[in-house]
Amino acid sequence: MEIENLLYAYLASEERYAPGEVIIQEGTMGDWIYLLMEGNAKVTKKTGTGAVLIENLKKGAVFGEMPLLENLRDSRNASVVAGDVPVRVGILDGEKMVRDYESLSPELRLLFKALAGRLRKANSKVAALVVGLNQMEKPVF
Amino acid sequence: MDKKNDNDTTLPLIRLKYKNGDLIIKEGDYGISIYRIIEGKVAITKASEGKDIFLADLGPGDIFGEMTFLRRTNEARNASARASEDCIVEVWHRDKLMDEYAKMPPIIKFMADQTISRLIRMNKIIIELTTREQKKREEMRKEDPLTSQRRYFRKKVDLECNYRPTKSSEKVRLSGRAIDLSLGGIGIEIPVRNAEMYSHVKGDLLRIQIVLPDRKNLEMECSIEEITRNAGTEKILVGMSVSAISPGSRKLLGFFLMP
Repeated sequence: MEIENLLYAYLASEERYAPGEVIIQEGTMGDWIYLLMEGNAKVTKKTGTGAVLIENLKKGAVFGEMPLLENLRDSRNASVVAGDVPVRVGILDGEKMVRDYESLSPELRLLFKALAGRLRKANSKVAALVVGLNQMEKPVF
Repeated sequence: MDKKNDNDTTLPLIRLKYKNGDLIIKEGDYGISIYRIIEGKVAITKASEGKDIFLADLGPGDIFGEMTFLRRTNEARNASARASEDCIVEVWHRDKLMDEYAKMPPIIKFMADQTISRLIRMNKIIIELTTREQKKREEMRKEDPLTSQRRYFRKKVDLECNYRPTKSSEKVRLSGRAIDLSLGGIGIEIPVRNAEMYSHVKGDLLRIQIVLPDRKNLEMECSIEEITRNAGTEKILVGMSVSAISPGSRKLLGFFLMP
């Protein structure tokens, strides 16, 4: 596929993770962007009552791209953990990506920033709703 | 309405004013403009089963109405936007952005598309969960009109608290201070020496007894969720969720938590 070739052209290095190993830790600083090349991974968000699963990532998914799209150097707002099989990820060339991003007009950059910000808020909202529901469903005798 | 060239954008811009409560975008309508909030707040909602589900609260600098553009379709608007304060918004016509969008680096387009699909999926989940929450709340209101509204209240407290492990064969009795109370859980601070007498493990069930300020006795069974030791102090913080509570104690706790 065309897009696959394109993503592979951006590869700077590769990493391997064992099942269950943490690839991105929520709350830590980092702006690497990853391509999932083999295996699967889970995106989770911490809450007061445990981690909430946000998304299952499959081969071909790009993750860790929020800081670039939001143009924000902030701590990671979710964790990515290797799934039930060994995982191989590619790390995309950050400089190249930033150059691409900076070639965009201010309007498009604002659009992407808005979009990524909305996704971040939606993720938090889902985590909060899950916690609320769990609390309500707690057995009481 | 006034025209203005903003410092960080090159598009000819139109600014519109809306009053609190005005509908800016109506779900199901066709429209192609993109809006950026200059002043005030806008709520994004989506109708589901006859109710408006709240998706996002946006403020100055935020953009909305961009989904139709980013998805490059002529579909109807898939959510409504309503002013939740008097506001001023800037309107962008998407034709101006189309050319650039088509020419931008494919990898950026790929990431944008992926973000859009993720957002659409998360919005669906929000709707599903909100609907479930509302139904649950209604059920609870029917069953128990007094306490259902108070489920989320929590209070910072400092109360003497005694506890013992439910399943331990040894008769250990320990004490600490309750520092945080809600209908769903409790946080207690215990001296490190308690851990020497009994190893507190996540998932352990503890029978807890607290005397409330009105001298009434609160009893419940809790399960340990989290144990943190504050560096440099002789205290351990134990976070627990309530696993069982008698109706009497639950009522006591409910009233105690009332603001």
